[in-house]
Amino acid sequence: MTAACREPCCSVAPRFTVADLFERGFRRMREAPLAIEGGTIADADGNAARFSIEVDDGKLADARFRASACTTLIAYCEAISELLPGFGVDVVAQLTANELVAALPGVPALKQDRAVLAIAAFRAALRAAIQREHIEIPSSSWPGLSRPSTP
Amino acid sequence: MKVAYIFATSRHTVSYVLGKMILPQLEEGRHGVTVVGMFFFEDNNYVLMKGNPIGDRLHKVAKKTGILLMGCDQCCYEREIADKLFDGVPIGCFPDLYKALSGNMPDQVITL
Repeated sequence: MTAACREPCCSVAPRFTVADLFERGFRRMREAPLAIEGGTIADADGNAARFSIEVDDGKLADARFRASACTTLIAYCEAISELLPGFGVDVVAQLTANELVAALPGVPALKQDRAVLAIAAFRAALRAAIQREHIEIPSSSWPGLSRPSTP
Repeated sequence: MKVAYIFATSRHTVSYVLGKMILPQLEEGRHGVTVVGMFFFEDNNYVLMKGNPIGDRLHKVAKKTGILLMGCDQCCYEREIADKLFDGVPIGCFPDLYKALSGNMPDQVITL
């Protein structure tokens, strides 16, 4: 039996830096979208992002995205896709752009607005999931995600 | 004539061509053309880091003459220096560069 390699080449955990998230995010963008897709959200600079998610038993099971070829935006979207699966929809709905910025140091102030776009795109997918899966989320969660009342 | 320089290669591009040719000429006001922008790829971005002696001189000339300095965002993130550049020096990609230069477009873009 061969022992597992414990050298740095094999045992290093994935790094949570912009450059590494961008690399992993670029690969994730090639994967087919998941069943529940949100709308495409764009900013004034022409950057756009669109999330697709999978929800299982009220929890975010998986998240994928397509985004403009902006390194910072892809890194923020990838951070969302790596950090949030496993948490309840009511929990992930509360993630804010400021918290995303704080979670990923090293981004200059001029580029931090990409977090707003990433969060908006993710919430669009959450909104689609809430409507499709008839998920009830507590009123303490972000109000914009509430399932619209039936007229 | 207005020019923009793109520092794409990583031999003596910054330490020699920029540091010993272009920059002294800009400091002396005898470069011969108006430089409107400089964009840096790969290891050339280290010149934009706070404390870099060539970068310090370049930053002063750029502020004085209105030269746009911009680092490649992917290159800076990869080197983990994106938030360590001289004050006011942005990072970006081609759309950001073109947008930043749109108000003062160069006649020639020279890749070094």
